Amino acid sequence: MTIRNPLRDHGQRYRPRIACLKKAEKVLLEMQDLKTGVKSQPQRLVITTIPHAITGEDIIAWLADRFQVDTQEARSFGSMLVALGYIYPLQDHKRLVIKPDASLYRFQTPYFWPTQQWPVEDTDYAIYLAKRNIRKKGILEVHEQEHYNHLHKWMNHKWDFIVMQAKEQYRAAKERKKPDRVVFDCQERAYWVVHRPPPGTVSAMDYGLDRLIDPNADEAKTPDFYARIMIFTQQSIMRPRVKSSVSLGAVVKYCATYNNHDPFLSKCLPSNPWLTDDVTYWTLNMPYVEIPTKMRVERWTFSFAELLSDPRGRNDFRLFLKKEFSGENLAFWEGCEDLKWGEAATMREKAEHIYKTFLARGAPRWINIDGKTMEITVKGLKHPHRYVLDAAQTHIYMLMKKDSYGRYQKSPVFKETVKKAICPEEHHFTDAQLEQNAKKRRPSLSPIILRQMEQEQKAKMAANVDITQLCRFTTPVPHLAVYSGITDFPSANASPSLPFLAHSPACPSPISVALDSTSASERRVEAGEGEGEGNPAAQAPAGGNVSKSRMALSLHRLLKRGCTPATLFASLSPKCHSAAGTSSHIQPISPDQPSQALPRRIGNFFQIKVDIPPECRIYPIESEDEDEENRAASRGGVGAKEIICPWESLTPQNGTG
Amino acid sequence: MGKDECKTMLDALNKVTACYRHLVIALGSTSDSQNLREELKRTRKKAQELAVANRTKLTSLLKDKSISKEDRAEYERLWVLFSSSMELLEVDMKRSLEIGQDFPLKVPTRHLIQTGMTGSTTTVAARAMSVQNMKYEADSNIDTADLRDLQCEISQVSQMMEEMEMKVQVAPWAVEAKQEAGAELKSNMSVGNSSVGVISICEEEPKEEEGGGSRDTGFASICAVVIFLVIVTVAVVLGYLVINMS
Repeated sequence: MTIRNPLRDHGQRYRPRIACLKKAEKVLLEMQDLKTGVKSQPQRLVITTIPHAITGEDIIAWLADRFQVDTQEARSFGSMLVALGYIYPLQDHKRLVIKPDASLYRFQTPYFWPTQQWPVEDTDYAIYLAKRNIRKKGILEVHEQEHYNHLHKWMNHKWDFIVMQAKEQYRAAKERKKPDRVVFDCQERAYWVVHRPPPGTVSAMDYGLDRLIDPNADEAKTPDFYARIMIFTQQSIMRPRVKSSVSLGAVVKYCATYNNHDPFLSKCLPSNPWLTDDVTYWTLNMPYVEIPTKMRVERWTFSFAELLSDPRGRNDFRLFLKKEFSGENLAFWEGCEDLKWGEAATMREKAEHIYKTFLARGAPRWINIDGKTMEITVKGLKHPHRYVLDAAQTHIYMLMKKDSYGRYQKSPVFKETVKKAICPEEHHFTDAQLEQNAKKRRPSLSPIILRQMEQEQKAKMAANVDITQLCRFTTPVPHLAVYSGITDFPSANASPSLPFLAHSPACPSPISVALDSTSASERRVEAGEGEGEGNPAAQAPAGGNVSKSRMALSLHRLLKRGCTPATLFASLSPKCHSAAGTSSHIQPISPDQPSQALPRRIGNFFQIKVDIPPECRIYPIESEDEDEENRAASRGGVGAKEIICPWESLTPQNGTG
Repeated sequence: MGKDECKTMLDALNKVTACYRHLVIALGSTSDSQNLREELKRTRKKAQELAVANRTKLTSLLKDKSISKEDRAEYERLWVLFSSSMELLEVDMKRSLEIGQDFPLKVPTRHLIQTGMTGSTTTVAARAMSVQNMKYEADSNIDTADLRDLQCEISQVSQMMEEMEMKVQVAPWAVEAKQEAGAELKSNMSVGNSSVGVISICEEEPKEEEGGGSRDTGFASICAVVIFLVIVTVAVVLGYLVINMS
């Protein structure tokens, strides 16, 4: 059923880029002239003789003469006429090319011409297949049989009609004389070879998507039409312009760089699958292949974007960054990409996850971006959308590009990859082998399977993530899936006596990040603390701390960290030294400071109170053994306080006023 | 019964549509002629008469609310047959208009396409009109005069089909076909009771490829070889007997 109301008909049926049809028809008509057209000869079959057969060489000679071109071009033109379906070959009907020898061709009747406004209907094809079924007594070719079954399923409601019509058309065809019957069969078969090509046939009707309006028709000059022209010209005026010398220079550079990598302009090793039907090229260039080809590796050196856009290149780069302990940059960048291109439903969670993993203070994979960008990002994260992390992502991208990319290209990882890259041999197929290849064509992996493979890869990668970059503020959080234990530490903050946080996944230290109330002074305090802790041994013991102030100090400290009453008392004992002071200036710290589980993040929400709820989820601070300097001691294991995102509402235990 | 009447009429319409298509295919080629144009005109008129008759019958049947469910399903199936036929007819008419305009017969500078078909289409038209012989009595400028009529008729047909869609509420995709795949190989007819044609065996396909071609040519040649051998054997035996006798 076709839609008849033209107002509601949004079907797209105009074929783009087939303006050549009208011109081809004109040429066809010229060829028919008995005096100046192509010479025809009769075709002799066993019983009948059919007139009006033309040889390939005659056609090519005529075209070369008419258009004053050389034979090669006339041959291409002739092949185009055959591929469009205006002329059909009598021998070897499946190959739509012109052979410059005595092979015979014939003109197609105007009904079967590929004119613009008559789309090829599946109903007609079904009728043709049914007729062919009758004729061949049930033995259709493989692709025809497939089409037949498919159409029978999808056009089932019309099937009665198709069968009836096929039979009637078959009988009507028999009313004609024998030579005409033969010609008609040939014509119909040629028509369907062009419009439903069998595997291995290239027809010119493979033109892409249909369009809503006829691109060859003149457009009516309505006010809308002029409005569109005006908008276009206004926008053209406002467009930023680049000097042509600059843009042309860029074009020249691009062409020079990519010339050897273009499969049209230069050879495609081992062979172009579209031409030879051999898929080695695609298997060698799969997204996550183990050993890439030399051409692919060369492309990675062209620009950083090339490297990142190729999954194999990205893997290589990731490996390099892992060795350099700056893998979080790439992970953050990938997380941002995922946010940008991902589903809207999970966007919020993704943004939060990225924040907790990379941007928050104390995040396990903290990335280093400047304060301004961080402010913008954090502010934007209150109302997250797809592009909220754009500024940070750009910053990290530039960082990687300017810094890591250069080092990557000089690194042993890359050099190793270059050495191992393969350069496949070129194929040289004979014609027979090409036909074999064409017969063996099979559809590639379904996109569903490819997607599953991709997701498995991602899951594998997420499981293997190595969090190696810790800043001194970092505390590991057990509930984050990416955390998988640290085996070594960057020496950036290393001083062995530095009380690092627990390494073992079993006992993370307490964290409570309160970014809402983070103020500059706090930062300073923490900085001071960290620094103070960095020099534990450097300071002379405080000495004359008044015990009272000490008590107050320790109370304050304890309240900030939160301790159980037991340790509270323990820490009040004079022997216990608390770790780096909590006062707002760098306190001299006794060298024999106790090994404390220092929460780097100090919850400044807490006011000084004496009574602390015993169910406080924060770890007891280890107060004994001030000589102990390893922080690797186990902590008792309650779950840690989570990193709180700034946009989350304050929970009661956080805010006490 | 209404159903049988319908089926006969649909058969007839189907036949005329098929013949019309054959005639339109011959347009513009070397088998085009005045006669062909006249045949086209008359086949078209017949098709329209049948279409109108079918439509009135089917609409009256479908509008009847008191029919049973199976009956209704059957009528819907017939309706789908009818509308598909009409679609084909409409497309063929439009194409014949276009090709007719592109290939006027009287203009000497316009050449007909040398398709290899040279015979006439009289027999096809006779089949369509259900007559034994066609008589041609049109004027010589039928190719141009007819086109105007054709345009009117096309608009009539389009109008009719629009009306059909609006008035009759039939969901064509809900209809289930009675024929299964490969039904055309069986020689009995599906709808109605028209005559059954015998599918001839020895259809020769023009020799294009060495490997391709139908089995029929092989069969025919094997037959010929066998007959030849038999005759040769008989001749040898007779010759031997003659020699023995003399």
